[in-house]
Amino acid sequence: MPATETITIESSRFGTLRVAPEAVIEFPLGLIGLEGSRYTLLDRNPGSGILWLHSLERGELALPVLDPRPFFPAFELVLSAEDRERIGAPDPAAAQLYVTMRAAPEPADVVVNLRAPLIVHEGRGHQVLNVAPGADLQAPLFPARSRAVDAA
Amino acid sequence: MLILTRRAGERVVIGDDILVTVMEVSGQTVRLGIAAPERLPIYREEIWLAVQAENRAAAEASVEALPAQRPS
Repeated sequence: MPATETITIESSRFGTLRVAPEAVIEFPLGLIGLEGSRYTLLDRNPGSGILWLHSLERGELALPVLDPRPFFPAFELVLSAEDRERIGAPDPAAAQLYVTMRAAPEPADVVVNLRAPLIVHEGRGHQVLNVAPGADLQAPLFPARSRAVDAA
Repeated sequence: MLILTRRAGERVVIGDDILVTVMEVSGQTVRLGIAAPERLPIYREEIWLAVQAENRAAAEASVEALPAQRPS
């Protein structure tokens, strides 16, 4: 059921969050392997390109996500016919697209999951399987150039 | 765990709306056809486990662990 009132949740990372109904994203099937179906996006690091997909049901559950397109110019999203049917195939250009990020102390170890992106459209979200060739489960976020500089 | 023996062409019905058909058996490989409601995603287990692991690893991130600047 769509949210109609502001939701308040205690975040273990960000303290008290008040989320307007229009900022609620409903994932009907949740995220794979995680509990809950209601999330919101937080931009706590403006300019970094990284957002937090924060659960509205579990205060400790939040995932860093980013739109892969600016970081991976060759990124391509190809869905199976089943996934297209299931999510109603919103226009990829109109939908918001995110991938989860696995943070790490070393920049060279920061990876994102291009294989299972999140499509958000009109308050609903789906985690889908990207069947495009080269859609890696752990794609390094920082290009090889950065790693070469680090190693120098 | 329920264990059933099926031959090629035979089916298993799960609930009212999931139908699993043994399409072909060849050596160590079994081809299955699965008819299920569109709202139910179906994954190969190894893919499901791998994505689950990535989601859970992402959820362990601390605020301090994120890059402050846009990666270039």
